[in-house]
Amino acid sequence: MANFFRTILRQRPTNLLIKRWETTEKRVIVHDPFDNKPKKNKESYLQVIKIFEGRDQRRRGHVEFIYAALGRMKEFGVHRDLEVYKALIEVLPKGKFIPTNIFQAEFMHYPKQQQCAVDLLEQMENNGVMPDIEMEQMLLNTYGRRGIPLRKYWRMMYWMPKFKNLSPWFLPDKLPDDTLELAKLAIQRITSVDPDTKISIWQTEEIEAALDKTWVVSGQSRLQQLLLAKQPIDEPLVIKGPYNVYLRDQNVTYFTLLGKIRDEEKDNTDWDDVSKIEKPIGIPGFIGKTTLPSIKCTVHEQDDGTVLAICATGSSSRDSLLSWIRLLEKHDNPVLANVPVIFTLIAPATDISLLEKHPTVQDDDNIDRAG
Amino acid sequence: MNIARQLTKLPYQNVRRTFYRKFSVSSITNDSVEATQPKVQEEKFDFEDLKVFERPEKRHAKIEPFMKNVFLSKFNRDLMAYPEILTKDDSTDLDNRIALLEKTFCNKNSTLDDRKNALKQIHMYAATVSVTKHGLAANSTELIRYLEVIAADLDLGQRISDHWVALSALKEGLSEDNYTSVIDELISGNDTISICIKEKLSDRLAQGDFRTAATMNEKGEWRISGEKICINQTGYILLLALTDGSRLKAFLIQPGAEGVLLKDNFVTFHNTPATPLDMATESTLSHTLGINRLYTATLCRSSLQQATQACIDYVRPRFFNGKPLSELSTIRYTIGEAILYTYACESVEYFTAGLLDGYLEPDVELEVAMCRNFIAHHAQRILLKLLAIPGVEKQKDCLRLLENMRSLSLRGENVEDVNSFIALRGVHHASRTMADEVKKIRNPVMNPSFIFKKVLANRHQEKDEPKLDLHLYEHLHPTLKPASDNLEYCVKRMRFVCETLMGRHGLEVASAFTELNRLAEAATEIYVMAAVLSRASRSYCIGVRHAENEMKLAACFVQNSKDSVRKLLLEIVEGEYLNLDHFRVQFGRKVLDSTDSFVEKPTARVFW
Repeated sequence: MANFFRTILRQRPTNLLIKRWETTEKRVIVHDPFDNKPKKNKESYLQVIKIFEGRDQRRRGHVEFIYAALGRMKEFGVHRDLEVYKALIEVLPKGKFIPTNIFQAEFMHYPKQQQCAVDLLEQMENNGVMPDIEMEQMLLNTYGRRGIPLRKYWRMMYWMPKFKNLSPWFLPDKLPDDTLELAKLAIQRITSVDPDTKISIWQTEEIEAALDKTWVVSGQSRLQQLLLAKQPIDEPLVIKGPYNVYLRDQNVTYFTLLGKIRDEEKDNTDWDDVSKIEKPIGIPGFIGKTTLPSIKCTVHEQDDGTVLAICATGSSSRDSLLSWIRLLEKHDNPVLANVPVIFTLIAPATDISLLEKHPTVQDDDNIDRAG
Repeated sequence: MNIARQLTKLPYQNVRRTFYRKFSVSSITNDSVEATQPKVQEEKFDFEDLKVFERPEKRHAKIEPFMKNVFLSKFNRDLMAYPEILTKDDSTDLDNRIALLEKTFCNKNSTLDDRKNALKQIHMYAATVSVTKHGLAANSTELIRYLEVIAADLDLGQRISDHWVALSALKEGLSEDNYTSVIDELISGNDTISICIKEKLSDRLAQGDFRTAATMNEKGEWRISGEKICINQTGYILLLALTDGSRLKAFLIQPGAEGVLLKDNFVTFHNTPATPLDMATESTLSHTLGINRLYTATLCRSSLQQATQACIDYVRPRFFNGKPLSELSTIRYTIGEAILYTYACESVEYFTAGLLDGYLEPDVELEVAMCRNFIAHHAQRILLKLLAIPGVEKQKDCLRLLENMRSLSLRGENVEDVNSFIALRGVHHASRTMADEVKKIRNPVMNPSFIFKKVLANRHQEKDEPKLDLHLYEHLHPTLKPASDNLEYCVKRMRFVCETLMGRHGLEVASAFTELNRLAEAATEIYVMAAVLSRASRSYCIGVRHAENEMKLAACFVQNSKDSVRKLLLEIVEGEYLNLDHFRVQFGRKVLDSTDSFVEKPTARVFW
């Protein structure tokens, strides 16, 4: 009895109210039309929307439907598809939500519906989908020019086109599905620092000793070839990686071949003393210096080493990297036959997204010698 | 005469100038000491054969370099008197030879052999050789005059100018015995000498820019290996090669020497035996071979004259809209412009030749380079305008004229190379005087009083109104006063601009190419302005036929050039952001550094 009273007293009226509300919530049976679709693609997604539109003249529960549909987009792989977003907006009734007087316009006519459209636009923005002019017309027909979704739309249309092509590395609208093509794009992006870079695609089958039969995308410029040729033979080169480069949401791993850095040239020239301006020779037709060009301070010479080549392989395995070194040697880098190469792989190779068939060795923190 | 005066007069004359001109005492400013310097006469005798005298030369004492000093705003006013090199006898001889040459070269039906024979008969292949060696010992003024006529056949003109220059180089570089042994064959005209200096640009990073090398074998013979650009390969070759890895030396290769392979415009040497020009140092070679720039200017001008003539021949018999085509003012304008620049170039060539012939140890490398660049720069632009008159009607002739001009203006080197040489050489000369000042300008906090004085001293220059205190007009005909003031303005600006340039870049001025280019162009225009003014003044004063035309040409040219020089110099002073160089360089860099397109097509859309 005492327990009963204690319980009654402990209960606060607000809690009771919430309890009631919760119970009523539970009574609503939510039917999720997206759940039972065997094939989850754009076609079936649009089909569900069509069914919803055709089921009821009044389209009751359209806000809930849109929220449910927005939540399922990634599952169907349509979260970057403008057409699908437009189909969802099409679900909203036209004309009904347009304010007809200043009070309606000022005090947010149909707030739930407006918020729903704003959330839809927000999701578009988060996924990097740019609306088009037709969408503006659809929103205008639904909410009128005083609607909050329209303001959101206009803001989006101000900023999104400005950001769309801001990256200096252009990517096609749809990234290729093939990992080789993706790796090519990634290596192109990294090596764009030197326009002279040549990107080669080799098969490890070319090397007889290769265990791992896969592809190698290798980037090396003529400058890097020269830097490699000038490396001291007794000092080992280092393969470092895997590093990640992101092409939108796709991750590609790559490796670098690092060499020694040369000492910086000490320059004690007094740049204020113009009396030391060199006198030009002035023989007609004679240009340039008679000595070899200085190649110090190239873009490839970084603080942690000289980047001599860069690659991504199909398996990212150590064996494929070894094949890469042999392939480099075969293609105009004969010095690699004599220089030792050290592998210092900093992360386990299993994390690598481009993994094709060979689960590679785990002992990557160990240092291994090849060549 | 009145018309000339009207034309050359500025539309307004302010009170200060009138006042100054009225009360200035010209005798104080006129430095009469230099003007009356004694003439040095040199006569050389060959004591072995007293019957043949060497040609006497009259030269003034050595003067300071003219255009190099202009970079310091110093102007040798004595040179405003146009040089008169030829004596009456020389002039008569010259006219006789020219008449003989013209007989063949102006005849359209003459064959190449005819022309070559004419050259041989008049000893043109020995023009630069001394009289004791059976030559003509012609000076630069005469050579230019000859070349003008020979340039009717541009190919032959190029060959003979190379030949003349190479002969001078041989004279300086070979020992007396060696020279005597080869000279007889060389002046016969059977085989001319072609000059090969330029090489292909390196296509590999580890290659040197200049690769042709000469090595001495165990027998003590020099052997050449390498590749050179050679447009007109004829018999002998004079080339420049590296010895001991870094020293430059000239070599002469005999016709038919082993290991010489000619393909297209390139000549390859493989272990080819060669005679070294031991006595020619780099500076001598630079001076001697540099004279070829003067001949290039003459050839370029002749090419422009030919194009103008072709245009006139086209226009005269044609009609347009019921009137003669020649009445069209645009056509008259174009031809007039061509004449203006031809006149300017002609003046500056003979002026330079006068400097070469009239003074002891002339330092004219800059002046010679300026002659070449002036016409190479302008002639191409004018030629395109001229060729637009016949349009597509005379396709073949037009293409020939265009190709001639293109190959001449790229002869041996291009305009940018020569421009950077001019500017660097000028800045180098200026830096020797201005080094201390520039150091202080670059360290203002350490030298506050100097900077304060400098600001005060430069206040007129900052306003683009320099004080004109050179009084150049005193050396010209009075009607040329406004024009001479324009020239003076340009000269006075030069020092300030050099100071600004060096103060801004310090030692790195050598790599500020866009600004150096402007400086070179401005200096070139100044030189031409000086030459044009002095020529016109001379002609008018001594009453040469058509002198009034010359006065008008001079006034027009100077007014036009002053504007362009003013703009060029102002752009240098303003710096790379205001003259937009920085942005142009960035555009170029972006395009060269990326394989992607620079901008999208105008039809590209970001959203639909």
